[in-house]
Amino acid sequence: MKKFTRTLLSVGLAASLYGASAQADTIKIALAGPATGPVAQYGDMQKIGVMAAIEDINNAGGINGDKLEGVIYDDACDPKQAVAVANKIVNDDIQLVVGHLCSSSTEPASDIYEEEGILMITAASTSPSITEKGHQMVFRTIGLDSLQGTLAAEHILNNVKPKTIAVIHDKQQYGEGLATTVKSALEKGGLNITMFEGVTAGDKDFSALIAKLKKEGVDFVYYGGYHPELGLILRQSKEKGFNAQFMGPEGIVNSDLAKIAGEASEGVLATAPKSFDQNPVNQARVEAIKAKGEDPTGPFVFTAYAAVELMKNAIEKTGGTDPEKMAEHLRSNPLDTAIGKIAYDAKGDLTESTFQVYQLHKDGSKTAVK
Amino acid sequence: MTETFLYLIQQLINGLTIGSTYALIAIGYTMVYGIIGMINFAHGEIYMIGSYITFIVIAGLLGMGMVSLPIILIIALIVAVIIASTYGWTVERVAYRPLRGTNRLIPLISAIGMSIFLQNYVVLAQGSRDVALPPQISGGWTFGDPSVFEVSFSYMQALIWVVTFVAMTALTLFISRSRMGRACRACSEDLGMTNLLGIDTNRTIALTFIIGAALAAVAGLLLGLYYGVVNPFVGFIAGLKAFTAAVLGGIGSIPGAVLGGLILGVTEALTSAYFPSEYKDVVSFGLLVLILLFRPSGLLGKPEVEKV
Repeated sequence: MKKFTRTLLSVGLAASLYGASAQADTIKIALAGPATGPVAQYGDMQKIGVMAAIEDINNAGGINGDKLEGVIYDDACDPKQAVAVANKIVNDDIQLVVGHLCSSSTEPASDIYEEEGILMITAASTSPSITEKGHQMVFRTIGLDSLQGTLAAEHILNNVKPKTIAVIHDKQQYGEGLATTVKSALEKGGLNITMFEGVTAGDKDFSALIAKLKKEGVDFVYYGGYHPELGLILRQSKEKGFNAQFMGPEGIVNSDLAKIAGEASEGVLATAPKSFDQNPVNQARVEAIKAKGEDPTGPFVFTAYAAVELMKNAIEKTGGTDPEKMAEHLRSNPLDTAIGKIAYDAKGDLTESTFQVYQLHKDGSKTAVK
Repeated sequence: MTETFLYLIQQLINGLTIGSTYALIAIGYTMVYGIIGMINFAHGEIYMIGSYITFIVIAGLLGMGMVSLPIILIIALIVAVIIASTYGWTVERVAYRPLRGTNRLIPLISAIGMSIFLQNYVVLAQGSRDVALPPQISGGWTFGDPSVFEVSFSYMQALIWVVTFVAMTALTLFISRSRMGRACRACSEDLGMTNLLGIDTNRTIALTFIIGAALAAVAGLLLGLYYGVVNPFVGFIAGLKAFTAAVLGGIGSIPGAVLGGLILGVTEALTSAYFPSEYKDVVSFGLLVLILLFRPSGLLGKPEVEKV
């Protein structure tokens, strides 16, 4: 009798297991970021990374038999559209989000995810305020502006040693936040900031600003913002004979900067996440992305890849897609990923900086600065 | 010459350059308003399309191995003007003519629709990213002592001034001397009466859209070359600025549009020069409000007479 029960139990167990594998469904991951608009390139980087990770996981049999599927949502880097996108993700019943990209979009969207209990990992937003609200469901696979800004300031103080410094920003959360961090770090280091000014994103004419920089005798400009404006500033500076050293954050690290600024983009300094595509660990992944005719060198490709890896691991370890359990798991269990070991502090920030100083070149490539 | 003076000269050069292009675009707004009393909100997009065509033609001709820059520019200008004018004419046919005589708000909405349509059409056809063109005209004159402050006036800026001046003069002569120009003036006086007197007002209105679009294409070419970058969204901001210039100078008045454009450009440059650049738009639009408070019809506008 005992044996019979055991057989029955094991049959039942087998049946239930069978049932589970027969129900193998797809786990959807929302990919939120700009697919259109002036900064769509960064959205592409995120897409390349996420799609590569999903493909690798699915080819290796998925997660416990379940396949992953990436669904693209376009926020155009517009905070208003980001909120609409977040609501759409809620309505579509998706519980995992990689995104958003622009900090100003991520912040309003993250409130919605937190409220609805959706797990969000951004691969690109570096503004410190995103993780300062005590949200439990919000993580990132990229370092903070405060780290990036401090790194930039250290480099300026120790290696560049300029005489007259201007800090310019685009009045957006990301750019102004970074510019403020750099400014205060430089002032702490004993340097005077001659000019601290904002420009309007989308503007095309910076001749008045450049004449002013020239008049003040500025020899170093830190720009907090994205490449379309900086590209024009560089191009117009060259035309007007203003030759200062420029530096920016990872928002300018993009081959389009070289396309817009041409010769003038040679030698511009930038802080960006380390070139994970150069890491031997990722060689096979880099080859696979190249084989698809896509570019694996963008700064957000492997941070996005790592975000999917984190999700996969959390699903496996918690035995399901309950976002809250996954968030808890992420917070307490470090994981080796494509971008190295990821460990989180209580706020959901990385405990280690992933930034490095690069020098950009007019052909769109970059080399690390020691 | 002192640094302060040279700096002021530099900023005036910058301001007049940007102001000239505002003026070119503003004329399109002001002419359409002068004749049918409506704002053509799709005008900024025509400017953007003009820029795109310039880029495509220049890139194409360079790709075909053509080297003579003046010839390339002239071909680009002709192609851009022809295609942009076609767009201008089409906008009138599609969004205005069928709605003539209806409530004035209706063509306004259809024009905004046209603007959104054109913008998204370019996004689909050309992608939403910045398209860049390497500098074609580089170099310029410099004067002033380099140890004090060196004023630079680039060939490109000079070209913008010259082309704007020529285009304005040609337009003024056309409006004041030619038969068609006289028809335009008559239409702006009294559209219904002009029609009764046997002038084809439909043709005259289409003509104003075409002239406006052609000038917008010229501005598209100049600014495209000056900045070297275009994306499908540049038309909105440029259109807004040009519209402001037209209102500032007195909408409906062609010299007003030119004056408004130059004032707006110079104000922007001088504000950026002596205050933090953040205040650029605050000051220029504050100025607009002030001028409209004291001169509701703009600097050179005629006081509004209710048309019967």
